[in-house]
Amino acid sequence: MTLIAADRDSFVWWGWIADRPDEIWQRTVEHVQMTLVAVAVGLAISSVLALLAVRYRWTYTPITWVGSVLYTIPSLALFAVLIPITGLGFLTAQIALVSYTILVLVRSIVTGIDGVPPDAREAADAMGYSAGRRLLRVELPLAVPAIVTGIRIASVTVVGLVTVTALIGNGGYGAFIDDGLNRRFSTPIVLGATLSVALASLIDVALYALERALTPWRRRAVRSG
Amino acid sequence: MSDHDNTHRPAISLREVVKTFPGAAQPAVSGLSLDVAAGHLVALVGPSGCGKTTTLKMINRLIEPTEGTIEVLGADQRALAAHELRRQIGYVIQQVGLFPHHTIRRNIGAVPELLGWDKHRIAERCAELVELVGLDPDVLGRYPSELSGGQQQRVGVARALAADPPILLMDEPYSAVDPIVRTRLQDELLTLQARVRKTIVFVTHDIDEALKLADRVAVLNVGGVLEQYADPAELLAVPANEFVAEFLGRERGLRRLALVRAADVALVDGPIVERSATAADARAAAAHHGSDWFGVIDTAGALLGWADVAALDGAASVADVDLEAFVATVTPTTPLREVLDVIITSRPRAAAVVDDGRYVGLVTVEQVAGGLQ
Repeated sequence: MTLIAADRDSFVWWGWIADRPDEIWQRTVEHVQMTLVAVAVGLAISSVLALLAVRYRWTYTPITWVGSVLYTIPSLALFAVLIPITGLGFLTAQIALVSYTILVLVRSIVTGIDGVPPDAREAADAMGYSAGRRLLRVELPLAVPAIVTGIRIASVTVVGLVTVTALIGNGGYGAFIDDGLNRRFSTPIVLGATLSVALASLIDVALYALERALTPWRRRAVRSG
Repeated sequence: MSDHDNTHRPAISLREVVKTFPGAAQPAVSGLSLDVAAGHLVALVGPSGCGKTTTLKMINRLIEPTEGTIEVLGADQRALAAHELRRQIGYVIQQVGLFPHHTIRRNIGAVPELLGWDKHRIAERCAELVELVGLDPDVLGRYPSELSGGQQQRVGVARALAADPPILLMDEPYSAVDPIVRTRLQDELLTLQARVRKTIVFVTHDIDEALKLADRVAVLNVGGVLEQYADPAELLAVPANEFVAEFLGRERGLRRLALVRAADVALVDGPIVERSATAADARAAAAHHGSDWFGVIDTAGALLGWADVAALDGAASVADVDLEAFVATVTPTTPLREVLDVIITSRPRAAAVVDDGRYVGLVTVEQVAGGLQ
């Protein structure tokens, strides 16, 4: 068997791929949408939980405990539980995807805020910053590197998991894989997996670039004298 | 209320202030009363655990007192919201605490920005402050990590002064920089203070720093007990008790020398003759002062140099003698500590006091000792 061939018995049938630019585009849009919605909702929920944990430290342990439980539930098991309640479809898929981001995102936000130099925090207080202003102007900007690291991990994880949600009919690259498995046809499986890995890498690089753009102060060399 | 009244009213007034931290058996500060006069620099010194930093932080309510009252600029500090009180009080800390993600310009402009100044006014003020603390205007566009420790500390002072607060609190601001930079920053603070006349409370564990910078020094003992509150000269001359004396150290006499100036001691004329004097006159002058050398001045009183009495052999007039340059000269404002150093390292074992080019008198070890009486 060769990897590059022109008929449907080979591992990858290039002609089959070349015939479906529209379907590939549609699956890409679906996959990106699923990912963006899940990470955005996850970030919103995690921000609230993280700020709660920062403000009331005792809540951090229960929050991460719940986050860990959600993180360890196998996605298929979660679907089994959710489908009778929320049905087959977008909502069920998103509940599962968002659940997986909570632990990583809450931890990264709390770690980022904890990592703010205490002297910068003290200086902000002493200069008359209110707590809200201190958070927005000092703590969150300084937590950006840790937070973006968390978003990168969460995004890459979600891109992979979106392929699984195709099982409950949500499209995305998983639809190719699902199709290939059903038909014992390798080309769509390879296509779906490859595109999924490529998208994860692309998002990772884009977020890295975003982080660099947001943190110009970290790149300047330390001078002496 | 006129400015005149202000100078007679303490800018900061602590009354029976107590701070007990939750879970602590002993109070960190117990019953401290202290007035800081407007325009004065007051140093809080003492061993670790004496509550000096706690006291400082109670002034701007970073720490709330358990008991007692603190008045700031004539009003109870609790009359204002904490963040509003703090905007009137500059704060400088050892770790500087610059915002790493803001340029120096934004760091310095932080409080003016809080106060809602317009951009143009903030930019002007930043330029002014950078110059005031002796930094190159180029630093304004840099980030804190690009500056040395000494430069960062100057930025810290500039930031604290940004909104021109009447009060400055400084918490061991110079203990993290090397001794050479520290000395320079201390000198700069004195120059700066002469220009801006802020009310400054300065926490340090370094008694020499306190004596050098402060108008008055508060010596605190463990638990925030005020042992003595006096100006540096009085502190050194009359320590209130054993603790203060011990804290001032064994070299108390030497430290006092740093506070007394050459003009404060009774000078002697010394074996000094004019250039036109005869050899006999010079011998007589030296003999009168029991010295084996003599100095020579011109008719305008400028010190020309000195020579050994032995050099007069075979000379008729002082004008015939080759003179050696008088390097051991000081000015009336030279601290006695430096005068003493000049004396013990010079051959004549004396320092000539020269004021504006004119010879005023001579200081020897005896006059130095007399100056401490």
